Amino acid sequence: MKNQSHAKMIIVVGSLLGLLVVVLFSQLLWAAPKLEMSKSGVKGGDCSACHVQKKMLPEKHADTKAMNWEACKACHNKDNLSLTGKLPNSHHHMLADVNCVKCHGKTKKPEALTMEQCVACHGSTTKLAEKTKDVKPTNPHTSPHYGTELDCNLCHKQHAKSENYCAQCHKFDFKVP
Amino acid sequence: MKKDEPTEKTLTRRNFLKITGGSAAVAAAVAGGVTLLPSPADAACDALPKKWDETYDVIVIGSGFAGLAAAIEAKNGGAKDVVVLEKMPVHGGNSIINGGDFCAAGTKMQKENGVEDSPELLLKDMLRAGAYLNHPDLAKTVAYNSKEALEWTESYLGCKYAKLNFHGGHSVKRAHGTINQSGSEVVNKEMAKAKEIGVKIMMRTKLVKFLSNKEGRIVGLEVRKGYKFPDDNSGKIVFMKAKRAVVLSSGGFSYDVALRQIHDPRLTDKLGSTNHLGATGEALLAACARGAMDVQMDWIQLGPWTSPDEKGFGYTPLFCEPLVGYGLMVNPKTGKRFFKETGNRKERADAILLLGNPALIIGDSYAVKKQVVPHALKGGMEIGAIKKFDTLNDLAKAYDMPVDVFTTQVTRWNSFVEKRKDDDLDCMIFKDAKPTVEAPFYAARLWPKVHHTMGGLVINQDAQVMGFDFKPVKGLYAAGEVTGGVHGAVRLGSVAMADCIVFGRIAGKKAAGEKAWG
Repeated sequence: MKNQSHAKMIIVVGSLLGLLVVVLFSQLLWAAPKLEMSKSGVKGGDCSACHVQKKMLPEKHADTKAMNWEACKACHNKDNLSLTGKLPNSHHHMLADVNCVKCHGKTKKPEALTMEQCVACHGSTTKLAEKTKDVKPTNPHTSPHYGTELDCNLCHKQHAKSENYCAQCHKFDFKVP
Repeated sequence: MKKDEPTEKTLTRRNFLKITGGSAAVAAAVAGGVTLLPSPADAACDALPKKWDETYDVIVIGSGFAGLAAAIEAKNGGAKDVVVLEKMPVHGGNSIINGGDFCAAGTKMQKENGVEDSPELLLKDMLRAGAYLNHPDLAKTVAYNSKEALEWTESYLGCKYAKLNFHGGHSVKRAHGTINQSGSEVVNKEMAKAKEIGVKIMMRTKLVKFLSNKEGRIVGLEVRKGYKFPDDNSGKIVFMKAKRAVVLSSGGFSYDVALRQIHDPRLTDKLGSTNHLGATGEALLAACARGAMDVQMDWIQLGPWTSPDEKGFGYTPLFCEPLVGYGLMVNPKTGKRFFKETGNRKERADAILLLGNPALIIGDSYAVKKQVVPHALKGGMEIGAIKKFDTLNDLAKAYDMPVDVFTTQVTRWNSFVEKRKDDDLDCMIFKDAKPTVEAPFYAARLWPKVHHTMGGLVINQDAQVMGFDFKPVKGLYAAGEVTGGVHGAVRLGSVAMADCIVFGRIAGKKAAGEKAWG
């Protein structure tokens, strides 16, 4: 049955290719190293402490080991080399000295957080909505559905690529940090 | 996930086959046919967990209009521990993206607006639109309790309604529009009230299956806590005991392409939906697997007022629906009207599908200013779904319409508006409608999207779910879009809110009144 063996071959090759793509993709993009609470003391700029033996930054990038978020901003600002959407937000936190424990507490099994933790440091969502009232096409921090109470984490993800939750139904072209 | 863990897959494939005794019976059951299936007692073949992880008096599945109404009434009806399970990361399901029109007959607002109405007339409209497939006792329950349900949301929850609206297929204006033109006004106030009186809300918790005892009584649930939609392997398996009852208010299945195609093969993934992504049918099927009967599953409603130029429900329905009876709807291919603008949803959606191309709804400045809320107009225009033109000629040209035919058609329509009678298509023309003459003119393209699933679980007037043995499935209640029979072939616009609140409240009260099984 020539056709069948052909089909089998296609499936095998296809699966291998698929696997390769998945592996490459996960290596290159957002798939972070396994998160460990023991890495809590690590400085945010010390890439290789977590990304073992992997080059995360471009060839000529300055050494970031001793840098904090303020130092990053010396080169990366809104208009130039913006980091918006380029780093998982947990890195921003780490760089600003907000480590795992500061959000998740001392635990071996960190759990998903609610927005209360965000608000505790970042301030009230009402104030945030006031700050972003002129964003086009509409204010991302308030809606007829949830008011200002939509969980921050639905858009601003910490350990994965952030997403535009509104885009499920709306054509709002927000850039989500 | 371990292989031996009880999961939804094992339920739907293996156990379900065991329960119903073969694929033919499954096909018949899923397709909505009535077959001689074993009674719910026979369906109870799973061993119950040795230890329940959590225990409640009443467990409600779903946090929309119906579920929260049920939870509130169950708590107020004496159930001590009431929990609402929501599989999504946000509450409110479709209710929170609903347009906020609450159908009620014989209300104060209607009197203030000089509208004469009665539950009898509402029931008549529901049955006529439903092609008399409605279960009359259920439709009657909604019609006759609609006014009280509306008043409950006002006086008990503090909801505010600002405007009386019209929806196609109704004899009179009876849709009470919430102050923010969104169902969120009601569902968020239900949520606040539920929390205030001590109802527990559990997000990201998904039903895997119903558990019943030897007598076929529903005694609890297997759920996944910490569920991450749509990953069916996410979260942790937890067994929850329901001492008194479970209320299933999980909504419809408009976004369940596989299930909707079983019942209406035309509804492929080529058709969009106005619903939220979680509007899928697994909870409904889980009830069927426990012996609950389904009905009229192939009556799936398409919204005739959605736009192909924006996502989801969008702004266009809030532009189109208030304009019917004030402006005209034409087929851009011919430049002519083709169907009664104030017809019901099914008639209009079918008529547009039959054209094979999007239709146009048109209103002049007078009608738009009077009828369309500013935010919907602004939003629709920014997205490009609603367009503005200085002249009717410009409008015709923009949509490649034959200019002469179109302007003649507008003139003809205007003559009908002036005499308040449409000789061509019998459209209702409202008292305050004026001829379409005042520039600028507005238009939007219309193409149907899957909107509401009329079919679902069979319930009785007490919101008890009925089994294939024509007896209630003990310990199981249902309310809202997951049920079938209330609307028959067509749900009229704005009746969903009434349906959900009326039957949600009944389900909650009755669930609280159940005798605890253990």
